Amino acid sequence: MSVLAALPTTSASSPLITVEKVNKHFGAAHVLRDVCTHFNAGQVTAILGASGSGKSTLLRTLNRLEKHDSGRIVVDGIEVCDDLKQLDALRAEVGMVFQQFNLFPHLTVLENVTLAPRRVRKTPRAEAEAKAMELLDRVGLAAHAHKHPFALSGGQQQRVAIARSLAMAPRVLLFDEPTSALDPEMVKEVLDVMKQLAAMGMTMIVVTHEMGFAREVAGRVLFLDQGCVAADEPPEQFFGAQTNERIRAFLGQIQK
Amino acid sequence: MTAALQVWPAGWSRQLRSSATMAAAGVVLVLLLWLMAIPLALAPEPIGNNAQYFAEGTRVTVQLTLVAGVSGVLIGVLAALGKTSKVAVFRWVAGIYIWVIRGTPLLVQVLFVYFALPALIPALKLGDFASACLALSFNAGAYNAEAIRAGLLAVPRGQIEAARSLGLSPWFTFIDVTFPQAFKISLPPLVNNIVALLKDSSLAYAIGVVELTNVGNRIQAATFQPLPILLTTATIYLLLTSVMTQVSDAVERRFDVEGKLA
Repeated sequence: MSVLAALPTTSASSPLITVEKVNKHFGAAHVLRDVCTHFNAGQVTAILGASGSGKSTLLRTLNRLEKHDSGRIVVDGIEVCDDLKQLDALRAEVGMVFQQFNLFPHLTVLENVTLAPRRVRKTPRAEAEAKAMELLDRVGLAAHAHKHPFALSGGQQQRVAIARSLAMAPRVLLFDEPTSALDPEMVKEVLDVMKQLAAMGMTMIVVTHEMGFAREVAGRVLFLDQGCVAADEPPEQFFGAQTNERIRAFLGQIQK
Repeated sequence: MTAALQVWPAGWSRQLRSSATMAAAGVVLVLLLWLMAIPLALAPEPIGNNAQYFAEGTRVTVQLTLVAGVSGVLIGVLAALGKTSKVAVFRWVAGIYIWVIRGTPLLVQVLFVYFALPALIPALKLGDFASACLALSFNAGAYNAEAIRAGLLAVPRGQIEAARSLGLSPWFTFIDVTFPQAFKISLPPLVNNIVALLKDSSLAYAIGVVELTNVGNRIQAATFQPLPILLTTATIYLLLTSVMTQVSDAVERRFDVEGKLA
């Protein structure tokens, strides 16, 4: 598809995002402890961990929805900091998909998808709409373009949210538990879209509880435990003969 | 009162019905202001012979309401933004403004702007109509601020996060995402305030503005016939508020994309 053909083709080994010694506190709780990692272009990373392990927080520091207290995060050469101009530039390159979809309820599906390109990239309306229709077609929702979000199912709303992020042609897509708010029968339609994106070489960082997705689609599993990176390995290894006691306990819980 | 919206053909879209209602209400209002002296002139004394006088007073009342209504909403938005601002000084200024205006009677505010303000700042010596507009605008603004603030606070945090994470600037986030949703939530209390404003504009009579209540009072003083005169005055107010609620109802329905309103 032409839309995704326009994706940046960085070589798969160069780090797109670097995270250095990042710490984050919520009051007395120390939720991220000296986290060091990097994310390469074209790579699909699944971030796993028990609830409260800091996985969503880590994801949200990458586009400054949470401020980190210390350390350094660099995304595509832009340091994540408080400078508003720099932050807006960064966020235009980093797409985010939320657990609760967060579609704009007062706008139609098409307006949801075209808003950011028109406002941020100053794309003319007709062009933005043509591109949006192409993306909606990709996620199988072209027929719903003129509906408002309330008229769609959860799975459909989440697919619109993915199309909305893609409309900015981001360098990386962050997913914050994208299927956790969905009924089981709708999980698949969203995961299918995500698999499609992964197959096209989209850089994705996915906080998820979908072990099947992590196993099949992710090239790498990052396991957080009490704010620390406890494992960083390929899924075969992670889900294989696991020696780490805490990870075995976690996987045992999940599989019950 | 039922919605005028229901009289439009069933095939019309929600937007079209809403626009049609607003246009129709506008036409009714203009006709009312322009031609009301004609039916009033047919009434027996003391109404018929004072028909022009009533019409003139009604026009002034509507002018006061429109000016103070529009500027009151603008002031209300600014004060609501001030009160929800991250900057302490803005919160402080907005808080004091709302505290003072809501804590003092409107009549005192009207008198203050007309009599006391020129003594304080000689450059602010305003005419009676302008003084009334100023006092009413700031009064409505304070009440509107709280209605709009409630709306702003009711917009889920995730909406702002989604907009910001798409790269929208704080300005576009506000204009395209936060404000339209907040405004929809604030609309019913805002309408309350504007209906109250229409009636409160009668306090302008204390500084000699010849609006509807003042007209009624003057005719009554001259004719000693309170019953027909006050009935006429009240009926005109009721007509005006009825037109106004039709407009607000149409606006509310325009925003009702989910079809929540019956």
